[in-house]
Amino acid sequence: MKNITLTTKIAIGFMLVMGLYPLFADSAWLAIGTTFLVYACVAFSQDIILGRAGAFNMGHALFFGLGAYATAILNVHFGWPILATWIPAVLLPVAVSVLFIGPIIHLRGDYLLVATIGLNIIFLQLLENDIFGLTGGPNGIFGIDVIEVFGVALFSQTYMYYLAFILLAITLFIMRSLDGSKFGRAMFYINKDEVAAQSMGISIRFHKLYAFALGAGIAGAAGSMFAVQYSAVSPEAFSVIQSIMFFTIVLVGGSASLPGVLIGTFVMFVLPEIFREFEEARYLVFGIAMILTMILRPRGIWPVKFGNIPEFLKKGVK
Amino acid sequence: MDVFLQQLVNGLTIGSLYALVALGYTMVYGVMKLINFAHGDLVAFSAFAGLTIYTQLFDDGTTSLVAVVSVFAFTAAVIAVVGVLLERLAYRPLRTAPRLSAVVSALGAGLVIQNAIMLIWGPNMKIFPSDLLPSTVYEVGGVVFTFTQVMILGFSSVLMVALFMFINRTKMGTAIRAVAIDQDAARLMGINVNRVIMLIFIIGSALGAVAGLFLGIYYRGISFDMGWQYGLNAFVAAIIGGIGNIPGAMAGGLLLGLFNAMISGYFSSQWAEAFTFILLIVILIFRPTGIFGEKVAEKV
Repeated sequence: MKNITLTTKIAIGFMLVMGLYPLFADSAWLAIGTTFLVYACVAFSQDIILGRAGAFNMGHALFFGLGAYATAILNVHFGWPILATWIPAVLLPVAVSVLFIGPIIHLRGDYLLVATIGLNIIFLQLLENDIFGLTGGPNGIFGIDVIEVFGVALFSQTYMYYLAFILLAITLFIMRSLDGSKFGRAMFYINKDEVAAQSMGISIRFHKLYAFALGAGIAGAAGSMFAVQYSAVSPEAFSVIQSIMFFTIVLVGGSASLPGVLIGTFVMFVLPEIFREFEEARYLVFGIAMILTMILRPRGIWPVKFGNIPEFLKKGVK
Repeated sequence: MDVFLQQLVNGLTIGSLYALVALGYTMVYGVMKLINFAHGDLVAFSAFAGLTIYTQLFDDGTTSLVAVVSVFAFTAAVIAVVGVLLERLAYRPLRTAPRLSAVVSALGAGLVIQNAIMLIWGPNMKIFPSDLLPSTVYEVGGVVFTFTQVMILGFSSVLMVALFMFINRTKMGTAIRAVAIDQDAARLMGINVNRVIMLIFIIGSALGAVAGLFLGIYYRGISFDMGWQYGLNAFVAAIIGGIGNIPGAMAGGLLLGLFNAMISGYFSSQWAEAFTFILLIVILIFRPTGIFGEKVAEKV
C-alpha cells in the first residue's frame, strides 16, 4: 500500500462508518440501514450491466426477485435451510439471464430496454397467478426461517445488518476487482465505442451477456438476503417500478462510479424513508428532483472521473 | 365464430386507441431519439382533465354534439400545452446530454404528472358519465357493438389518415421528416428545429388526449396510475411497428389490440400482459427493429 488514492480512503471511511452504524442506531434505523445495504448490492449489480457494459436493462427487479423467491420457495415449501438456498438463489438468476437475455442481447439499446421490461412483467404475472401453486399469488410467501449457523439462530436486527454488510463488502470487492480485470477493461471499451471494441476482437455479445450473468447473480444473492430480512416475499417488491428505481439509481448517482451508486441508493431509498411524513407530495418532489438532477448534472451526482482506464494508459492523456 | 368476430371488434377498438397513443411515442422518438416515458401519464391526465371540463362546463343534463366536440377540443388544447411545457422544461435542456439522462428526466416527468393527478383529483377511481355519448347498441350477425366503439374506430381512423397526409403531403410534414433524418442538416436548410419539435409535442399530446378521453368514455373508470398500463402497451405497439415509423405505430397498435383481445377471448385475461410481451420478444428476436423498422446502420 504505497500510494492510497482518495477513492480508497473514502471507501475505507465508508466501510468504517457502516460497520459501526449499529452501535448508534435504534431498531427502526437499523432496519433502514439493512435495506440500504441490500439495495446498494442490487444497485451495484445493475451498475455492472447498465453502467459498465452499457446494456439498457430495465428489468433488474426480475433477478432480485428470482433470488428472493428461490430462497422463499425452497425454505417454506421444501424445508431447505436458508444457507443451502443461497446457492440456487444465485445460480437461478444467472441461468435465467443466460437463457432469456441471450437471444435478445444483440438488440439495439431501446429495444433491449423494452424487452427487459417485458421479461420483468412476465415474471410478475407468473408470481401473481401462483404458478405451480408455489409462489402464493398476490400475497406472496410468509414465514421464511431465520439463518442458523452451527445451531445458533441469527434472528436479531444486528445480525441481519451484519449479514447484509458482509454481502455489500463482497459486492464492493467484486466491483473493485472488475476495474482491474481483463473483463472490466473490455467492458469499458465496449461502453466507449462498440464498433472500435469489436474491431479489436472483443466479443460484444459475450461480454454483455457475461455482465448480465454477473449482475443477475449478485442481484439474486441480494434478493435472498431481502427475503430473509423481511421473512416474507410478495410480488410488488419486484415490479417494474422497482426496476425503474434501480435503473434510476445508477444514472442519478453516476454510472460506473462506486460512490455515485451508493449516493444514488441513498437518495432513492433512504431519503423517501426519512420524508415519509410528507407522504402525499413525496413522489411529486421526487420526480422534480430527478429532472433537476439530470439537467444540472447529466452524468449523475458523482460521475466517474476518467472511466476505468488502466493507469498505464492514462500517461500522456489529458 | 361469434367469439372471434366479437373479439375482432373489441380488439380493433382498443387497438386504434393504442395506435393513437403509440403515434405520440413514435413521433417523439423519430425526431429526438428519446423514449417519452411521460406520454402515458399525459394520456391519463387528459382523461381526468376531460372529465372535469365536461362536468364543469357542459354537463347540463342533455347530450349535444357541440358539448362533446368542445370537450374533445378543449382537452386536446390543454394537453397540447402541457406537452409543450414538458418538452420545454424537462427535455430541451437535455438535448446535448447523454441519451440516458433524458430517459431519467422523462421518468421523473411521468412521476410528476402521475402524482399531480393524484393530488388534484385524489387517489380513488373516478367514473365517467354514461351520457357523454349516446349509449346505442347495435347488433349485426351476433356481434354486439356500441356507438362509442363506432365513434372510436371512425374518429381515430380519420385522425390517422389526416396525420399520414400531413406528414407526407405538406411542407411542415416534410420539415418533420427532415428533422427526423438529420437535425443538423435540417437546420442548415433553414428549418427551425425547435419549432418542429414543439409541433411534434403538440400533435402527439393532442392525439394522446383524444385517446385518453375515449379510454375514459369506453371503460368509464379512470385512475391516476392508468397511464402507465396504457402507455406501456402503446409503447410496445410502437416498438412492434418499428419505433420512429408512423404507419408502423398505427399497424402495431391495431395488431396489439387484436392480439390482446384474442388472448382475452380464447385464453385468459389474467395473462394478457405476459402474452403481450412474449409477442414483443418473439417479434424482436426475428425482426430486431420491429416489423416495419428499417435496417439502421450503426452510427460510427
